[in-house]
Amino acid sequence: MATTLCAKLLPKLVWTPLTQSVRHGSKAVTRHRKAVHILRQKLLAVTEYIPPSHAIPRGAYPDKNSQVQQDSGYVLLLKKSLKKLFEENKMIAVVQNSASSAEDMTLLKHRLFKHGITVKFIPNQVTRSFLKDSIYSNMAPLFIGPTVLFVSKEPKVNGMLSALRSSPQMTLLGACIDNKLLSVEGIINYSKLPSMTVVQGELVSGLTMLTSRTTLLLQHHPGHLCALLQQHIKQQSPETIAEGDSTAQEAK
Amino acid sequence: MFDVTVPETNMAASKKATVVLKAVKKIMVQFSPFESNVRSTREFLAIVGSEKARSTNMNCEVLTKVKHDKSEPIVDVTFSDGERLLMKGANLTGREMLSAFQSRCIAKDPQAQAAKKK
Repeated sequence: MATTLCAKLLPKLVWTPLTQSVRHGSKAVTRHRKAVHILRQKLLAVTEYIPPSHAIPRGAYPDKNSQVQQDSGYVLLLKKSLKKLFEENKMIAVVQNSASSAEDMTLLKHRLFKHGITVKFIPNQVTRSFLKDSIYSNMAPLFIGPTVLFVSKEPKVNGMLSALRSSPQMTLLGACIDNKLLSVEGIINYSKLPSMTVVQGELVSGLTMLTSRTTLLLQHHPGHLCALLQQHIKQQSPETIAEGDSTAQEAK
Repeated sequence: MFDVTVPETNMAASKKATVVLKAVKKIMVQFSPFESNVRSTREFLAIVGSEKARSTNMNCEVLTKVKHDKSEPIVDVTFSDGERLLMKGANLTGREMLSAFQSRCIAKDPQAQAAKKK
């Protein structure tokens, strides 16, 4: 612009001045990212926006990010199978195995299968989320670390204990037998219990003991019975006389 | 395209997870599984009782006692020179227990390790 003006004002000049001050500065809109001036940089740094921390007190509203995670299809399948397991099987034992080898596992599985016990591997997270919704929520603290489930329809505790004794690194933690949670001591006591028929027999014999004794008595000769009854009366009467004496003495 | 870098801490943990039990005579782990403070003890047991760890020393016994009396989880280690290490796992993490145990193991058995490295 200046050069054109000069050209018009001094049209007769052939010689253009040596130094020509060009007064157009750098452009504002550039194709590259223009370097921000240090003063502007400082200003922007000082005037940055700092949002207020905790405008809403914590706990006043539920967390935005804590949406209930929907279970994937596989997890739902596992949960269904778990539910079936708990319904069908009377005994469910939880065992921790600190990395036994594959051979040991197959041997153990074989030994347990002979007693009708199957071995199940289920991820702990799935079992825990299943248990906290069901009635077996007290079992949940057992499922930490590498755990295996032993399930069987009939509670064959002796077989399980003998199989576990042979593998040293399997640790029995607890079991749910007939919907009752048992610890290790409880399991051992359960294994020492006699079978159901034996227990019923003992109960019946205990209840009928008195009646059987009376029948035995009645089956004796009647003369013998009379003598027994007379003896009984004699024994009764001195006791009453003795009681009368003691009460008389107390009254005195 | 972005590069995924494996965090170094995990790598370090997995490398040191193989425990050398050369200088150990007996390890007794005792806990009550229905308590809530047994996680570290169980993790320790899982690492120490694994086949890899036990294969380093076949004479070392690893005993586990499962109790139900609300007692504290305890790890009792007897070394081959008679020293005993008692770790109460109620307020410790698994990693702390493992590092304490391993540092003592390595201190006890430096000669064999140095010979191996050479």
